[in-house]
Amino acid sequence: MNTVSTPEVSTWGAFLATLRRDLLVAFKRRNDLLNPIMFFLIVVTLFPLGVSPDPAELTRIAAGVVWVSALLASMLSLDNLYRADYEDGSLEQLLLSPQPLFFLVLAKNIAHWLISGLPVVVLSPLLAYMLYLPTEAYWTLVLTLLIGTPVLSLFGSIGVALTVGLGSRGLILAVIVLPLTMPVLIIGAKAVTDVMFGLPVGSHFALLGAMLAVALSIAPLASAAALRISVS
Amino acid sequence: MWVWFAKLGSPRWFYELSGKWLPWLYAAMTLLMLVGLTWALLFVPEDYQQGHTIRIMYVHVPVASISLACFPLMAVAGAITLVWKMKLADMVAKCVAPIGLWFTGLALATGAIWGQPIWGTWWAWDARLTSMLIQFFLFVGVIALRSAIESTDAAAKACAVLAIVGAINVPIIKYSVEWWNTLHQPASSISFDSAAPNPPEVWVPLLIMIGAVYLLFIISLILRTRNEILIRERRSQWVTDLITRSQS
Repeated sequence: MNTVSTPEVSTWGAFLATLRRDLLVAFKRRNDLLNPIMFFLIVVTLFPLGVSPDPAELTRIAAGVVWVSALLASMLSLDNLYRADYEDGSLEQLLLSPQPLFFLVLAKNIAHWLISGLPVVVLSPLLAYMLYLPTEAYWTLVLTLLIGTPVLSLFGSIGVALTVGLGSRGLILAVIVLPLTMPVLIIGAKAVTDVMFGLPVGSHFALLGAMLAVALSIAPLASAAALRISVS
Repeated sequence: MWVWFAKLGSPRWFYELSGKWLPWLYAAMTLLMLVGLTWALLFVPEDYQQGHTIRIMYVHVPVASISLACFPLMAVAGAITLVWKMKLADMVAKCVAPIGLWFTGLALATGAIWGQPIWGTWWAWDARLTSMLIQFFLFVGVIALRSAIESTDAAAKACAVLAIVGAINVPIIKYSVEWWNTLHQPASSISFDSAAPNPPEVWVPLLIMIGAVYLLFIISLILRTRNEILIRERRSQWVTDLITRSQS
């Protein structure tokens, strides 16, 4: 008898292993880690330069500026999600593994969010201060970003999965993904603006939460299907 | 039922059947379009507020309503492609995208022409206008993805996934945008009472125009799909026969 005994890996185990691996890879490449955050800071800086340094003006657009910049930063960092894995073949191993692809994709998306989304959330109060956002809106901004940026990662993942096999992808990813993320932007930015006017924002949070729930349950499915198409 | 379903999936069967339908569709569309346009442009009474500009409605509303149907249609065709690998469904999904883009663009353009005299502006960041614009971008994305992928088979599946995800998103976009900003009037209801705000002489020609534009859409979709069938099946015997017959 010469059977090779392979260790049984539970779905949860595979999920954690994928998450851990992606985080490890990201921390080994510090530049990739810093670029989205620097990009976020630079884009936010462009608005006072381009629009006006006037505090009243900036207060009015602060919420939108931070949200749009977060959206663009998430978009920029998306390519890291599957590209390197596609090129070195580890993506194929992921597709061949016996564990459900849904959870592995979810793990990769969570890793992407931890790397590119969470720093944006953490930095947002600083930028809010620089853009003269009223103090009472800080928490709303941070919380909407905290709920909203994972949705951006999840939707973005579908776009990357669809285009990962393309030789020349250029701006196609942004053209595909940005329209899908517009509802998140609308509600996230509106919640912050409404709080500045003293309006209740419970419903905005409910809607953002609902979007996150829908994205969590559907987007990894679509990403998994898209990866199978792109790699086959 | 299943025999019919399998038959419908055969491009050749569709090509031959749609060839028989086309003359009838042309005749019906021409009739409705002539009656509808003449009635709408010459005989509909002027609106008490909007004057002659109300006539733009007879193009704008049908075009906008059909453009809303295009994305769901593409998603359904995409789902059929993914589940049953039906070739014809993907051809329809491919052909409906540029038509949907065109009708969405037309709805935006006619809306702008109508908005200029009535709202005093070509463009406003109003809910319906914005959601139409986002729908325009969604179509652009699907078309861009299709043209970027070289393999027909992979392009079919990838576009199907994107169309389904987009279709799930369309109502979310619609409601989030609506709640964000609203200027556009809600759709008016129809009424048989001639004293009502919308008497029959206003909405009957509109219904005729909607019918005409729907037929126009169906005809363009069939024509495009027939071309697509000929291109994809160009190596098969029946297409070769068809070409030699048409040349002799």
